[in-house]
Amino acid sequence: MIEVLTPGFHTTVQDLGRTGYRHIGVSVSGALDRQALMLANRLVANPDNAAGLELTAGTLELKFHRDAWFSLTGAHYEIKIGSREIWHGWRSKINAGETLILRGPKSGMRAYLAVDGGIDVPISLGSRSTLTAAELGGHQGRALKVGDRIPLGDKRSLSKPIGAVQRGYSNEVRALPGPEMTLFTQESRNVFWSSQWQVSNDSNRMGARLSGKALGLEQEQSLNSHAVMPGTIQVPPSGQPIVLLADGQTTGGYPKIATVIEADLWKLAQTRPGQKLKFIHVSPNQAEDANNEWDQYFYRLQRAIDANS
Amino acid sequence: MSDDLQPKLFRLGEKALVLDCASLSGSSNKLEIQRQIWHIGDQCRASGDFDDIVPGNNNLTFFFKDSKKIPFWSNQINTLWTHEPVQDKPGKLIQIPVQYGGEYGPDLNAVAEYHKLTPQEVIAIHTSTQYNVLFLGFQPGFPYLDGLDKRLFTPRLATPRLSIPAGSVGIGGEQTGIYPAQSPGGWQIIGRSALALFDSASESGALLAPGDRVQFVSVLSISEQSILDPSILSESIPDSPSSQTATSKQAKGSHKESSR
Repeated sequence: MIEVLTPGFHTTVQDLGRTGYRHIGVSVSGALDRQALMLANRLVANPDNAAGLELTAGTLELKFHRDAWFSLTGAHYEIKIGSREIWHGWRSKINAGETLILRGPKSGMRAYLAVDGGIDVPISLGSRSTLTAAELGGHQGRALKVGDRIPLGDKRSLSKPIGAVQRGYSNEVRALPGPEMTLFTQESRNVFWSSQWQVSNDSNRMGARLSGKALGLEQEQSLNSHAVMPGTIQVPPSGQPIVLLADGQTTGGYPKIATVIEADLWKLAQTRPGQKLKFIHVSPNQAEDANNEWDQYFYRLQRAIDANS
Repeated sequence: MSDDLQPKLFRLGEKALVLDCASLSGSSNKLEIQRQIWHIGDQCRASGDFDDIVPGNNNLTFFFKDSKKIPFWSNQINTLWTHEPVQDKPGKLIQIPVQYGGEYGPDLNAVAEYHKLTPQEVIAIHTSTQYNVLFLGFQPGFPYLDGLDKRLFTPRLATPRLSIPAGSVGIGGEQTGIYPAQSPGGWQIIGRSALALFDSASESGALLAPGDRVQFVSVLSISEQSILDPSILSESIPDSPSSQTATSKQAKGSHKESSR
């Protein structure tokens, strides 16, 4: 069990999300930076879909009530046990009674804490992920608070610390044109692909709101409500695009100018408000290549872990 | 069906396919098209090739587990659309007890005045229709209902409320609906129900599914609803022998309501 002494800003339990409930309006939820959670899980010998904590900002103090191996990936945090400094992206041991202190982020936006055995909150509609808008999943359907006691799964027998190289961040986000791309003016299409879009302060787990030169349609149209998904870039009448993320609503009626490819969605999770990003037009084949690169990354990672265990 | 009655089929992102029937709605009954959409969704769901199949308003989105299956299913879906007879199997009928007006329906009088009706007439019209659940979205369990009587079409509030309590029943433009959870909103609120539309502890999660029908039933007090028994409900609507009430779910949800 982990006792929350200081919860940080919007720390939630997340796994890889819930599928099968979008037709009743339940968002997929789950880690915004899926690959970072998967990496953290691999380091502590958890299944990829084990639940961990998603950290957004601030200082966390977590008191462990059992011996545990843990790893922190994604955004860079200062990690300490007492005065002992721990490396980011490594698995390390913490003893029962010790307190893990996390401060950050120094760079990036969201970090993932995995503990051997995983966070063992109840499964709700097929997942342990927190969907705060519906008070669903996670720890009581909400972000962590002081005094929360977070259950852990059975511990694993691990022996020594190991670490992994994390992929490099870039603010170039690859995207496929959306079904309504052609409804936008030629100028808007050019602006979309050539601008540096600033992530605005009111971004959250539902969506990254971008600001820049307003995009406009050739002629005003109203669309029927239709399904949307994480990565969908929709443009409301303000002309300022919104990239829907894991907690985004399941249906919407705004025109969809583009879709961020799955392999690059993590960049939206790691871009801070105020920072800028740029969209790169790619083909479906290039999107598939990007997925294959991730598969290879995890294949090589697993081989290295197995060789060192 | 001739070629011009074939819906559009296009990809969305890497792993989704959209069946878009918007171009057909001029030539055919919209609800009939929606029925076909529900039916095809149900047919495909069992295959195991999809993470989710999500109906929208006259469209259906297939979320694939593996994008390699998209070409096969593109053909399959077109064939289903052309050859599957429209099923007229009615969905289940859910009756939703509502306390209209007063503190639970702050806009009932304004809606009545707007239409030069009495509040009782508004309630009578609102409860006399069986609404079709076209699809769910916006928030877990939120139904998009079709069938609001023209006499009750009412503009949204000029200034949306920051918070509408869970269970609120409202009218916004040509739509009526019920909010499963507390949320901001600009609809005219005419009543409230204690029924839980979304309950994560239940197997299906949501009380309603696309294709179901909804009928609002006027009750004198929202607190009566916890002791409501099905026989009382079926008395109030004698012509609906197949109706189901949701009293068991409602009991589950009631503790949630009382904590708000």
